[in-house]
Amino acid sequence: MKTRYFEYFIGPQHPGVTGNMSYHLWARGDEIVKMEPSVGYLHRGFEKLMEQREWIKNVPMVPRICVPEPDVNEILYAMGVEELAGITPPERAQYIRVLVLEMARMAAYLFYFGGVAGALGLYTIPQWTIGDRDYILDRFEELTGGRIYHIYIQPGGVRRDIPEGFRERVLKLMDYLERRLKDYDRLMFYNAVVEKRTKGVGVIEKEYALQMGVTGPNLRASGYPADVRKDDPYLVYDRLEFDVPITGDGDIYSRMLQRRLEFEESIKIVRQVLESIPEGPIMVKLPHPLEWKVPQGDVYVKVESSKGEYGYYIVSDGGVKPYRIHVRGPSMPHCFQAAKEKIVGMRIADVPVMIFSLDICPPDIER
Amino acid sequence: MGIEGKIVEDIVKRFGDKVRAEVQRERRVKFYTDPINIKPLLYYLKEKGFIHLSSISCVDWIKENQFELVYHLWSYEDKVHLMVKTRISRENPEMETMIPVFPVAETYEREIYEMFGVNFPDNPNLKPLFLEDWDGPPPMRKDFDTRVYVREKYGMIDLTEILRQGMDKIKGVRDEDEIL
Repeated sequence: MKTRYFEYFIGPQHPGVTGNMSYHLWARGDEIVKMEPSVGYLHRGFEKLMEQREWIKNVPMVPRICVPEPDVNEILYAMGVEELAGITPPERAQYIRVLVLEMARMAAYLFYFGGVAGALGLYTIPQWTIGDRDYILDRFEELTGGRIYHIYIQPGGVRRDIPEGFRERVLKLMDYLERRLKDYDRLMFYNAVVEKRTKGVGVIEKEYALQMGVTGPNLRASGYPADVRKDDPYLVYDRLEFDVPITGDGDIYSRMLQRRLEFEESIKIVRQVLESIPEGPIMVKLPHPLEWKVPQGDVYVKVESSKGEYGYYIVSDGGVKPYRIHVRGPSMPHCFQAAKEKIVGMRIADVPVMIFSLDICPPDIER
Repeated sequence: MGIEGKIVEDIVKRFGDKVRAEVQRERRVKFYTDPINIKPLLYYLKEKGFIHLSSISCVDWIKENQFELVYHLWSYEDKVHLMVKTRISRENPEMETMIPVFPVAETYEREIYEMFGVNFPDNPNLKPLFLEDWDGPPPMRKDFDTRVYVREKYGMIDLTEILRQGMDKIKGVRDEDEIL
């Protein structure tokens, strides 16, 4: 008898929270036999566009590359250009950058919890987490003027200083989020439905993860201690005290738990930054922005984003525009290697949960 | 001598003058070599702990008529980032695939094939990745002009001309008003 497969399509209309992308599935009964990610709905050609603009004109454009966590793009672009041009941003600016990055990480993790729980059919959790994320966005609005895209970090420093009373309000928010985590624990991590659906499902082994270029929280959830903030310290992360928690099961549950534990570390970092932030200028003087020639050379800069290693390879030929910028998003190996191969053998109902748990973000796959 | 110097020394000892090395800064080392040496070099580096291929970048050096391929490697143990660089000709660009060394190279090469037209003959999966129904030249090449392509392909109308005509029209109306 000939075996017949059913073909399914997930997407491309936002299969989740982070952009258009489709997954082409072949299933025998309820079991997936093959998965083919299909991208191309979000290709905006940022790398080409960046080559056609002056260095400073790219600042408002780079955050658009990744929607859920735009600040990593700003910081990478700024760090890369600073390294090429030999600029050291003022200390205060570096602390503010860490503050912004960690708040962005928390916002992205809250989004993530909402996404996974939504895929599991538990709609209370997204309501809560996305509501709480809004409180972080409020603080962003106060600091930068924008809620999602901040266009705040730029080569040479940051755009505005911390407003009056901002410190107290952020500390209050951190206390609130810490209290809230206990609620999330009860709602999500001690939830029998979540445990049943996610424990032992979608396991990515450590060796496989290392082989396939899996990075960030997903790699740590597989049990390998690697964090760019510790291994290749940037900004002032080497002066701050924080741990890199490790869960080791590699399944969906441990990927969620990993982020839950890192959330606490981010709160710790924000508190330290607010305590130890020095006084001083926030911006160095830059040359005339439209005639600014960044010296010849090439650099690779990378940071730890909420999804994994995010890197920029910036090449300058000494002109007024970048010669080439290559964006290394963390989601490409997660999607095209880890998800593609590990989804085989899963049940259909588990596929969205798996995709969310890896935090696959189409905007940074395609740029 | 830091860990970067040790890595450079080790590679120079093993590969001699086939590979040129340069320490850029702390935790960043560059290697320059010919395309033929890339595979043995990557095999060797992988054995030495550089197990993570971050990405493969391609740069179009149109003046020198060359493509530069940059393999970004990271060692979790030594905590050093390597950029292994090689240059290939821009005419009929072809490069050996690195899938046997790093399976994750498959998608990176697929992207370079699509965006720069560099062929990887042994890569089994060079299907279009981002661009659907694309018949133009590889778009990330320096000689590909987006504006010219759009104008030729879709017959884009010159917006400035339309605006100028519109302004003339408004101006004309206003003039009539004034006469009345």
